[in-house]
Amino acid sequence: MVEVNNLNVIFGKAHIVHNVSFTVNEGEVIGLFGISGAGKTTIIRVLTCQIDKKNWNGNVRVTGLSPANKKNHPKILSNIGYVPQLELLNLYFELSPLVNVEVFTSTYGMSKKQARRIAKELFEILDIPKDTWKKRVKHMSGGEKKRLSMAIGLIHNPNVLFLDEPTTGVDASKRYDILSYLKKLNKKLKTTMFIITHDLEAALICDKTAILREGKLLEFETPQKLILSLPSEGLVARFTVENLNEELIDMIKKFEPIRKVLRVGNEVIEILMDDFEQNLPNLIQFLINKGIKIKSMSRDIASFRRFFQIRIQEEEEKEKTLN
Amino acid sequence: MNIGGLIKKEFGRIKSDKRTLILLFVIPVILIIIFGLTTGVGPTKFFTAAIITRDEMPTYDNFPTNSSQFDDIFISIMQHNTTTWDLHQFFNCTNLEDYDNAFDKCIQFIKNDIVDAFIVLPENFSESVENKINPVVIYYIDGSDMTATSSIEVAIQEPIALFRVQADLLENFTIMVPYLEFDVPFWESQLLNYALPMILPIIILGTTMNLTSLSIVSEGPLPRMLITPTTKREIILSKLIANTAIMILQSTEIFIMSAFFGLYSLGSLFNLYLVLIMIGFCGICMGLFISALSPTEQGANQMYLIMFIVIIMFSGSFIPPELISPEMQYVINILPLSHAFPLVTDIILKGLGLNLEHVLVLNLNSVIFVLLAYVIYRFKKIEV
Repeated sequence: MVEVNNLNVIFGKAHIVHNVSFTVNEGEVIGLFGISGAGKTTIIRVLTCQIDKKNWNGNVRVTGLSPANKKNHPKILSNIGYVPQLELLNLYFELSPLVNVEVFTSTYGMSKKQARRIAKELFEILDIPKDTWKKRVKHMSGGEKKRLSMAIGLIHNPNVLFLDEPTTGVDASKRYDILSYLKKLNKKLKTTMFIITHDLEAALICDKTAILREGKLLEFETPQKLILSLPSEGLVARFTVENLNEELIDMIKKFEPIRKVLRVGNEVIEILMDDFEQNLPNLIQFLINKGIKIKSMSRDIASFRRFFQIRIQEEEEKEKTLN
Repeated sequence: MNIGGLIKKEFGRIKSDKRTLILLFVIPVILIIIFGLTTGVGPTKFFTAAIITRDEMPTYDNFPTNSSQFDDIFISIMQHNTTTWDLHQFFNCTNLEDYDNAFDKCIQFIKNDIVDAFIVLPENFSESVENKINPVVIYYIDGSDMTATSSIEVAIQEPIALFRVQADLLENFTIMVPYLEFDVPFWESQLLNYALPMILPIIILGTTMNLTSLSIVSEGPLPRMLITPTTKREIILSKLIANTAIMILQSTEIFIMSAFFGLYSLGSLFNLYLVLIMIGFCGICMGLFISALSPTEQGANQMYLIMFIVIIMFSGSFIPPELISPEMQYVINILPLSHAFPLVTDIILKGLGLNLEHVLVLNLNSVIFVLLAYVIYRFKKIEV
């Protein structure tokens, strides 16, 4: 569905994206993760025909067509949908949801009847209340606007949907709702989805996750496989330690099997180590021997968030060593 | 793709925007009323005149001698001695046929803005001076310029005073103003009709410029539209069509409201309507240009204000063009209101047809601004 081989994006002297390659199959949900400046949006801009060919090179194909050829743009743009981060960039607030739908579908040459039929289907999947369909968008709630924006992105039944930060600005309690709506749409419509996000929880609905840093693709795999690639297949020991400080952390790090100590709270650390089951009792004994007061402890499997944190830290450390 | 959907969207957006609707349909009416009741038009300036002298024609009055030397003195004073007058041409008529031809020419001079007035010296002019009888001077004024009319009445006193000194004449002159050429009759709404040639173009150009620029700049999903098969060309075209349709509605409303408040037009109402639409279209094209250059609403507002002030100030109605350097006059001659004002004046107050030069330059403005907007949009980076 989407193939990217050795993509490089260069603006003047700035090399924004370095040799990025990945392949996405039909119906997959892909999460593009990375801190600001990682190149996520730039890659999507190439895929959505927004960047001039003179600024990028590499072999890119979207729905079998190359954005390098301008003649392919109308066809590619007909095959893809886009949901920007802010609803005001995707919706005419002064018009009703149904008129918004008509405006966008008209750009794809769809009839009003067809537009209304698809809109009805999508609005129902996305639980957009019927009484809001003919009222102005500006009177809708934040969540309804977000869902309507998704519906607009999907209104022409695209093969690939690009979503820019779909959970940004949404209450923590509603974030998962948005993600589950996306998964619901993906299952029902079989639409391939690209989610650009800072929200690492989004990995929960992703078939594959791409981790980017400074224009380089660090990982492109299923979140489960990435977590399993951690020491002891991602098993972590979580300790709440009294008066936790950097000195104590350095002391803990001296326990040999430890591969990573992550401070995840004021008094909380998570520890990854080799041969987890075998070494956990030894670790506890080590901490007691060192006079470290453990308030509580638990064991868990690392989240994608933790993997992301570790992977980015590793890259930073690698960079420091090189410098 | 279906451009109809984009046009419908434009209508929908405008329809739902109360501020825009007020700007388009309420403010013009208020301005017509306010301007119509409070302002006049036109500049106070130095005047150009033509003279028809009938002094050499025989007089049948009972004078001892038949002379004709004093008209030459008057003409010479008009030509060389006054500070307020410039003599364009004089006609020495020895018979009625000459006089009729000269009179027709002078009427054309006024219609074409070549002179502001023409003076007729009667058959007994020199005889009256010679015999110390009040001489009569008849003058015809371009009455379409109300403030100029009163200024001309004052200015005519200068050559008369100079003539009285030179002719050693103590007697008063009788000044006759038989008919103010192209004035608004007193039973019509004079203030409104003298104001209309200026306020109609200002209202229409101003509102269309502002509405078009803001409606584009404030459109959040515009960049998003470019991630559909819609092209920039189609977006510009849809905006041009929708805004033109709205502008035609607005011009119709203004036209009807002007008629309701006592529009008096010597010329074709159809031509007037056509000119209003041409002015409005020019405003739309300028609005497009502003939107192409402005990234934000604030920027668009500032640029609109600057452009509009320049266009009004250098329209030739506030600063007399003859007082400005020839290079600047060239610039003034390009600006749209410099052509819109005379076009409306010609139709309403002079009963003339469409002046092709004015029509051409006005529409040339539209073409240039729309092309510039298209080129800028083509190279402008619009990203979501």
